Amino acid sequence: MHISDGILSAPVLITGFIGTIAVAAYTMRQLDLDDIPKVSVITSVFFVASLIHVPIGPSSVHLILGGLVGVVLGVRAFPAIMLGIILQTILFGHGGVTVIGVNTMMLGGGGLIAYGIWQLRHRFDIKKKEMIFGGLAGAAAIFSSGIVLALSLVTTGEEFIATAIYTLVAHIPVMIIEAMVVGACAAFLAKVKPDALAGQLPLATPPLAAAGIAADKTKKNPK
Amino acid sequence: MPLDIDRFAKLESPLQRWDPRVKLFTLGIFVFSVALLNTLPIACIALFLAICILRLSSLPYDFVASSVKWVIFFLLPFFIIMPLSYPGEAAFYVIGLPFAWEGLQLATLIFIKAVAIILTTFSMFGSARFDVSMIALQRLKCPKILVQMLLFTYRYTFVFIEEMRRMQIAMRARGFVMKTDLKTMQVMGNFVGTLLVRSFERSERVYKAMLSKGYQGELHTMVTFKSERQDYVKSILVLSAAIVMLTLDFSGLFLPAKQSWF
Repeated sequence: MHISDGILSAPVLITGFIGTIAVAAYTMRQLDLDDIPKVSVITSVFFVASLIHVPIGPSSVHLILGGLVGVVLGVRAFPAIMLGIILQTILFGHGGVTVIGVNTMMLGGGGLIAYGIWQLRHRFDIKKKEMIFGGLAGAAAIFSSGIVLALSLVTTGEEFIATAIYTLVAHIPVMIIEAMVVGACAAFLAKVKPDALAGQLPLATPPLAAAGIAADKTKKNPK
Repeated sequence: MPLDIDRFAKLESPLQRWDPRVKLFTLGIFVFSVALLNTLPIACIALFLAICILRLSSLPYDFVASSVKWVIFFLLPFFIIMPLSYPGEAAFYVIGLPFAWEGLQLATLIFIKAVAIILTTFSMFGSARFDVSMIALQRLKCPKILVQMLLFTYRYTFVFIEEMRRMQIAMRARGFVMKTDLKTMQVMGNFVGTLLVRSFERSERVYKAMLSKGYQGELHTMVTFKSERQDYVKSILVLSAAIVMLTLDFSGLFLPAKQSWF
């Protein structure tokens, strides 16, 4: 899911770049030296996993997994998704050079929101909470990306309102599929390799993505 | 879809000989100026220039077409949605829906610009080895950490595609067929989870191997860049074309695509 070149107006494109640079600069400052190869390796898994096509009736969609990136990488999801988008632009020509900013805000922002929702699981004491909150995180990432996509279309011009509505509707099946896949994957990881999941400790403050860094740091220090 | 964008980097052409730093900078500016165009005739000129640049790069036709056809496929819905949803006077009705020529003009503009930009992207990154392009980006003051991560991610993408193919063969061998149901989604979730667990372990090994080879957050390369007069001549040609396009576009000589075909 991404927007192509040549659609959005210059102000929207510039806003996208400014927003992306600001958030990326902030989140990349949190990266340690040993994070660089690790985040890259995991980014390439997501990149590869997004090539998987899942059937919906007669047609098929490819997995986006923006929510899972948030669940696994936490705040580092933003730079990871940015890498994925840049690579996709260079290798496939999907999206485009001028929309890297908007696309990163759209999907990377979804990853951060997914992480926020994923962290809420510490407040509940229910069975299978990894699956439930993983699923919610997966759906929320797609939902928020859809909203950002629709907003960037609508702010470009009123002639795109119908297109925006159409894309929002088209996102509903994707949201359901992502919720199921991310939920199952989060439950699997919780069972098999819990270290791989982000945010082992609950956040001190409400799940603002920014507050997540504090939790990440406290997790790292003991080792 | 070919993933190794740089497989034809060894061909000889004016683009391959162009200093990657100058090439990426120049074509990057060209791409952004194409994205800002508003009128159809100028967009057509941009597409023509993009095709010329691609021809100069002597990249094989099939190689480019195999990727571009997907992009075109994604853009086709615009030709249906835009004319039928454009607010304003309807020229005529198609099964009860108002059809506006303005919408079709806008869809054509989007299509032409997008194709022009994608073709230019191919000339940008298809005409040099991927690592050389990335190092050139670093010389152009792209953040070091970003460039490194792009290089690693690119490198490991091929490893994991192989890994994924093996796992898919194993799944099929055990009789798994994808359907639209909860079971399939669960299996796919576990599939992605397995891929992640394997990659975590691999990333630990990769990092240790890098440390033992003296990695301290810097990549040292033996790539050197040299820009000569002809590099700048090419650059000035492309940049002046971009400036002429933008000036003509904003001069009011042609009407924006929202209002007229030309």
